[in-house]
Amino acid sequence: MGCKVLAPMVGKIVKVKVKVGDKVERDQEIFVMESMKLESSVFSPCSGTIKEIKVSEGDRIEEDDLLAIIE
Amino acid sequence: MEKTWRELIEELEARKAHLREGGGKELQEKEHAKGKLTARERIDLLCDPETFEEYDLFATHIGRDYGLDKKELPADGVIIGFGKVNGRGCMVYAEDFTVVAGTFGERHGKKICKIIDMARTYGYPVVGINDSGGARVTEQMGALSQYGQLFYRHIQASGVVPQIALIMGPVAGGQAYSPALMDFIFMVEKTSSMFIAGPPLVEAVVYEKTDEQSLGGPDVHARITGVSDGTWADDRECLAKTRELLSYLPLNNKERPPYLVPEDSPDRRTPELEEIIPTDQKRLYNMRKVIEVIVDRGSFFEIKKEFATNLIVGFARLNGHVVGIVANNPIKYNGALDYNASDKGSRFIRFCDAFNIPLINLQDVPGFLIGTKSEHNGIIRHGAKMLYAYGEATVPKITCVVRKAYAGGYLAMCSKDLGADVVYALPTAEICLMGPQGAVNILFRKEIAASPDPERTRAEREAEFMAKYVNPTYAASLQHVDDIIQPAELRIKLIRALEMTINKVEKSPDRKHGITPV
Repeated sequence: MGCKVLAPMVGKIVKVKVKVGDKVERDQEIFVMESMKLESSVFSPCSGTIKEIKVSEGDRIEEDDLLAIIE
Repeated sequence: MEKTWRELIEELEARKAHLREGGGKELQEKEHAKGKLTARERIDLLCDPETFEEYDLFATHIGRDYGLDKKELPADGVIIGFGKVNGRGCMVYAEDFTVVAGTFGERHGKKICKIIDMARTYGYPVVGINDSGGARVTEQMGALSQYGQLFYRHIQASGVVPQIALIMGPVAGGQAYSPALMDFIFMVEKTSSMFIAGPPLVEAVVYEKTDEQSLGGPDVHARITGVSDGTWADDRECLAKTRELLSYLPLNNKERPPYLVPEDSPDRRTPELEEIIPTDQKRLYNMRKVIEVIVDRGSFFEIKKEFATNLIVGFARLNGHVVGIVANNPIKYNGALDYNASDKGSRFIRFCDAFNIPLINLQDVPGFLIGTKSEHNGIIRHGAKMLYAYGEATVPKITCVVRKAYAGGYLAMCSKDLGADVVYALPTAEICLMGPQGAVNILFRKEIAASPDPERTRAEREAEFMAKYVNPTYAASLQHVDDIIQPAELRIKLIRALEMTINKVEKSPDRKHGITPV
């Protein structure tokens, strides 16, 4: 089980709302990103534990970039 | 001794019954086992009971070689005719997979061409049910030439009568371009596929191992390519949805779409929109909910639901009148238009314009999607299609700015300048050439740099810019917006604007045709 969290679109990470080891629920907000003049949330696609976080606040991201791994 | 009438009639009916069996019971059961219906069962579900008139049941194939001269291919593997759908006429062809895998031979092709010619001549939509192993190789130029004849007819009928392709089995090779030249394509889960070369050829020629579903199954065409307009669970659902789609379309381009006496009230207020649309511009919402609230209850029929989900398109009714809805959906890309959304939107707009269907445009668009990836995907030439399609359309065009309407996105979602007849704005509308951030960076760069508290100066300048320019009052003062309205009034206002503009007549310049960006 587990899943990868991918960037929904090009933009910038504004806030990282979890840390490695945190338990998360499906559809929980785990990143806040900004793009095209709007802030939006990146939600967890599954429930599990955060294994790895690949980005930090202020990082520029491309669509489909790997943001985090959940297991 | 001469035969009696009774004998002649019995012979005739026996012959017809035999031909109607197609490839026979055994092969029909094989189709059922795959979850498919037979061609005749499909026609019976598509058409109103007892309305289908078949032509060319007696048509025979032309094959002379490889022993085919001794083989009987009933109706040459395709059934054509005229039936009624919801009491309205419709031309139909359905390929019969039980007859040599529904392969496309010369006569088979001629039959399909004939029914499309009839559709165009008599002004009826055509529904083509595709289920074919591809070209009948034994007929060579006969098959190839008929593909060309068929494509030519789709092109001649384009914009004259609606053309709908149902993919209810494989559609392989050149034949895939037949649905591609029609207006709508529906596919069926698990049993349908479309590709220009199937897995064996792909492996032999480009050394890639693949299978039918990952090469061109309904998911691929609904989500990735945008070839398909909708995926349905099985043949039955697909045929029922086709009947539903036809209920929104005029029979031909000389007619108006069918009016239905509405059950919903034209005076129904829509205060639910205050719950759905956040006034906080940073919060997202699903535009689909807005559409469902404003149209006649339960009337929204979405097209290409899974493709380019940042733009929603579909048919609906407003006080009984058919309209085409084009709406940004902030759920993806914050509603920005990318190349796929531009393809999806412009094609839908052109269909509506060709068939006299007024357009309702709901704007929440931060612009065209920017960045290297978007530019390299050709957002300039693709985005141009949206502008072109709206600018070209002469049907009533009614726009509401829900929230953002920035820059090129504002124009590409049909502003006054692209010919919108009526433009409304909600109080949350932000209409501008450039957002406050970008504008303040350009206008006050020096002042911000020199300020003892640059962030504060920036915030002050942004707030001032917002108040001055980024609001519907500014746009309305310059007549870009006809009225600023409450969410609760949206349905009522759209209906009134539609009923005011419904007899609009606008002539395009006299020319052969424009050069649509592609």
